[in-house]
Amino acid sequence: MSRSTSSNRGDRPDLLTAAIYVGVGALGLWAGRALEFGSLASMGPGFVPTIICFLLIGIGVWIGALGLRRPHVPIEPMKLRPILVITLAIVGFAYVAAWLGFVAATLFLIALSSLAERNVRPAETLFLAVGLSIFGALVFVVGLGVQVKLLPF
Amino acid sequence: MEFIDLLALGFGAALTPENLFFCLLGALLGTFIGVLPGIGPTTTIAVLLPITFFLPPLGGIIMLAGIYYGAQYGGSTTAILVNLPGEASTVVTAIDGYKMAQKGRAGAALAIAALGSFFAGTVATFALAIAGPTLSGFALSFGPAEYVALMIFGLLAATILARGPVLKAIGMILIGLLLGTVGTDLSTGASRLTFGSIQLYDGIDFIVIAIGLFGFSEIIENLEKTGSSGVKVAKLTRLWPTREDFKRAWPAVLRGTGVGTFLGILPGGGATLASFSAYSLEKRVSKRPDEFGEGAVEGVAGPEAANNAGAQSSFIPLLTLGIPSNNMMAMMLSAFVIHGLTPGPQILQSQPQFFWGLVASMWIGNAMLLVINLPLIGLWVRLLTIPYRLLYPAILLFCCVGVYSLNNRIFDVALAAGFGLIGYLFRKAKCEPGPLLLGFVLGPLLETNLRRALLISQGDASVFIERPISLILLCATALLLLMMILPNFRKSREEAFKGEEV
Repeated sequence: MSRSTSSNRGDRPDLLTAAIYVGVGALGLWAGRALEFGSLASMGPGFVPTIICFLLIGIGVWIGALGLRRPHVPIEPMKLRPILVITLAIVGFAYVAAWLGFVAATLFLIALSSLAERNVRPAETLFLAVGLSIFGALVFVVGLGVQVKLLPF
Repeated sequence: MEFIDLLALGFGAALTPENLFFCLLGALLGTFIGVLPGIGPTTTIAVLLPITFFLPPLGGIIMLAGIYYGAQYGGSTTAILVNLPGEASTVVTAIDGYKMAQKGRAGAALAIAALGSFFAGTVATFALAIAGPTLSGFALSFGPAEYVALMIFGLLAATILARGPVLKAIGMILIGLLLGTVGTDLSTGASRLTFGSIQLYDGIDFIVIAIGLFGFSEIIENLEKTGSSGVKVAKLTRLWPTREDFKRAWPAVLRGTGVGTFLGILPGGGATLASFSAYSLEKRVSKRPDEFGEGAVEGVAGPEAANNAGAQSSFIPLLTLGIPSNNMMAMMLSAFVIHGLTPGPQILQSQPQFFWGLVASMWIGNAMLLVINLPLIGLWVRLLTIPYRLLYPAILLFCCVGVYSLNNRIFDVALAAGFGLIGYLFRKAKCEPGPLLLGFVLGPLLETNLRRALLISQGDASVFIERPISLILLCATALLLLMMILPNFRKSREEAFKGEEV
């Protein structure tokens, strides 16, 4: 692990954790603001979520306070390409499967997800896409009986 | 003897051709993914969970269990031959195993690992068979207050015994608990934290979270780290260990089995903790501690026995108390739920063939693994050369089909993709997402029992300290919290997981 020698402090992954925990806690409190808290004897629907959210915010603040005092640790660099491509491929799969059926969705998924890597190999991808859509159709739809139409018509 | 009759019942259920097939399939799949470094057993089980819905209940669960313990075998093969631990639990095996391989003793290391694992698996299976009826009889006397105390103890202990920082793990459990409250509140009918979305009224499906956090985000992360270096496979030599190897390995196997069986039962225990602890134990009791790291056969035998024993004995709390002790068992719990079964003390009485069938299948599976592993090692090693670019589209397809098949809803797939992004963020924040699953699975149980306990006592919280079992568990929880504050304990805990970055 590379530790920066610069004088600025703060364990960035820990600070990110703190932000996530406090954020989720606050979001939970906001989303559950209308829920009744109730009492110990008859707990309302908001009882448990509210307690969890406060605990979560507390833990988040604690982690953040400790992380600020620790030496600087950077967050590993992010690459946007795989994130975007894979997420789009997954969501796209569901839409295509609902409209055009399983085979088209699989071809779409494999073709798009192959773009997640920089050097695309079209022949290999085509082979993989065709192979996997035949395999998937046989195993999932025919074999296991997953309820999805195979072809658009 | 009743015990023998029940085991016979179990073997009867497990030895049907259908269940033997699922057992073999699980063991093969487990070895396969254990060998492949890019994909772990948690992801595989998450991916296959929805598929088990289409299988017979016992067969599906036998297969998933086979994947879990099969992965321990497969992971050790690559750890020894190429210094690439396929699973976290085989990281320590790589230290001495790879050294042995470099010295031309790969065959001996592999054979010791496989035989030790088989022995440990056998012992752990019997431990499960014996502990099952005893513990579940005990658990039948549990009321809601005891269950609340047990779950709080289990959740907290899980964070301490699992790897990674404790505070982060507690936060993860809390997020899991919070996600578990999403949907319609069972006792009041109010819809909670649904953001007005009708699709969330039934709550979030376990599979959506598991595939998002483990399947999708793992693929994204692996794709970021491109440029995997070429794998150098150590030469396979004579398979059978020498007499000297056996003499040194057997005591280590026995100790590893003991350590693994015990640690597997504890919440948060399981294979990884077991193998790390067994390695440090071996190092401590050895007369030749300087040989460790240079190819000591005990350093392979102990941890390998321990991780297999731990993998199997972690089924004990799930099957007897209905409380999963780690994220893998949380997956197994949801596999039971998919088939409308609730693991716990009742299942032993209402469906004995189920419990004993699973126990018997584990022993059969271990025997199969021995046969699969030793002669086929050459084949497994060749799998290592499959590039990730050919694997991830297939994994992605399995994930997508699995989530979509839940309800045939686009919404579920999109939600899983969202959890994939969240899981990616967690990875960047160096948070282990395992405890989240545990919290999510136990959340509704915890809330129901908490509400019930307080309803019976009319809001008097002292019910938790008036009942003896509950009091003991809560005291143990307080002790754990106290220990975490003490710097001495923190240090030794960090040491137990040392070597993970090797």
